[in-house]
Amino acid sequence: MTDSRVVVDGVSKSFEGENGPVRALDAVDFEVRDGELVCIVGPSGCGKTTLFRIIGGLDSPTTGQVTLSGSPVTGPTPDLGIVFQEYHLFPWRTVRGNVAFGLEQLELDGDARERRIAEMLRLVGLEGTADSYPSQLSGGMKQRVAIARSLAVDPEFLLMDEPFGSVDAQTRSMLHGELLDVWHETGKTILFVTHDVEEAVTLADRIVVMTPGPGRVREIVDVDLPRPRSRTDGAFVEYRERVRSLIRE
Amino acid sequence: MSAELETEFGDRFTGDTSLRRVLLGVVGLAGFLLVWQVGSLLNPNYVLPGPIAVIEVFIAEVQSGEMVTALGQSVRHWLPGTVVGTTLGIALGVTTAYSSVADDLAAPLVRVLRPVPPLALIGFAIAWFEISTASAAFIVAAGAFWINYYAAYGGVDAVPEAFLDVSRSLGVTSHLTLVRRVVLPAAAPQIITGIRTGIGRCWMLIIAAETFGVPGIGQRIWTASTNIAVDVVISYILLMSLVYIVLDTGVEAVQRRVVAWR
Repeated sequence: MTDSRVVVDGVSKSFEGENGPVRALDAVDFEVRDGELVCIVGPSGCGKTTLFRIIGGLDSPTTGQVTLSGSPVTGPTPDLGIVFQEYHLFPWRTVRGNVAFGLEQLELDGDARERRIAEMLRLVGLEGTADSYPSQLSGGMKQRVAIARSLAVDPEFLLMDEPFGSVDAQTRSMLHGELLDVWHETGKTILFVTHDVEEAVTLADRIVVMTPGPGRVREIVDVDLPRPRSRTDGAFVEYRERVRSLIRE
Repeated sequence: MSAELETEFGDRFTGDTSLRRVLLGVVGLAGFLLVWQVGSLLNPNYVLPGPIAVIEVFIAEVQSGEMVTALGQSVRHWLPGTVVGTTLGIALGVTTAYSSVADDLAAPLVRVLRPVPPLALIGFAIAWFEISTASAAFIVAAGAFWINYYAAYGGVDAVPEAFLDVSRSLGVTSHLTLVRRVVLPAAAPQIITGIRTGIGRCWMLIIAAETFGVPGIGQRIWTASTNIAVDVVISYILLMSLVYIVLDTGVEAVQRRVVAWR
């Protein structure tokens, strides 16, 4: 047995279209090893959001299956944290209340819960805004709350769909650094979906490059670069151009 | 205006605007009273009594205890009717919007029953509850039900599917928890707007619900109308307005607190 945390095994997905079924994903195969940070990158229409929903248990594949720690994923579960591009914070709860939500579903005594909330707020640097409502926060802060909320219940695996797609470039590069810090500190396995090649090269241990029509894995690129990575570094640029050319072909 | 100017002068302008609003409001009200007074001088008292005459009748009705009695009677129709109708309306609205089975079951029934005005139910009210407090409350409850049913249905229907996905991924497994912890708070703004609308509309419905002989403000207005006692009619209309203003201001304050997160 390997140390695979997530295995995507022959996943295909077809939708009913006007002119018969449309194939969105065609026999997608890859795995994410324990503690790895893997990015799925591809142009729009390559089925990466469909794949994200299937891996997260929000949709089911037409054929094939996804397993998490050996068990098939059949629906959303607390073992699998999900972070969306649009945050989907609960607007009626404060930052603290959002982070507490998952913990309230567990049988946890008050002290342990409070400690966990404080730990999560510290992890994403939001101690000062614990009592604010989401409507008072910037996009970057909202996404930090969403990350803290999903990590609070200690999932084995974190699945993120273009989480930094709605923030400005400067905030995004700051969030990249913070995500890498969180990843180092928690040792989580992370699968990160993006259309931004630079973002993928900045973050990933490995990049799953997808191409459209139907969505397929074109190649899996190992990114053998030390972190933190600089976008002007020669090796970085080489990786970036290689992934871009794979997408264009 | 540029954004800079707006922040610089915004407060002063809004301050002026609200002061101007109050002043113009007072002018409007005074103008109305003046026209009313002049109109009353040109007509006999039974056609249009003047504002001062009405105030005198109003005070007399309060002092005789008639008005307090009528108010108490109407509140006894309004309060239970509104509470029962609101509760049932929210419960069924939430259930049908959340469960597609319940929605499919209820959809044709709702379409048939929805256009029936509460007053058309007087026959049932009398047959089931005779001429009593309960029969007037029944009419009021029917009015409250639909307002709250649609508000709750719309609110729950608009809850983003993603909230449910997120909740499940954070360990929520039962429908009851999902409804209590996610669906109801997410739909709360619409539900509370429905409650507020219902409270006001049901208070107005009292007039109609008391047409068939149940004592209260409505009946006082009906008898006074038959006796062409316009001053009494206006006194009780004034009472209805005053009660409505107090109720609505109270509910609005509660509403602001509950949806403070918006």
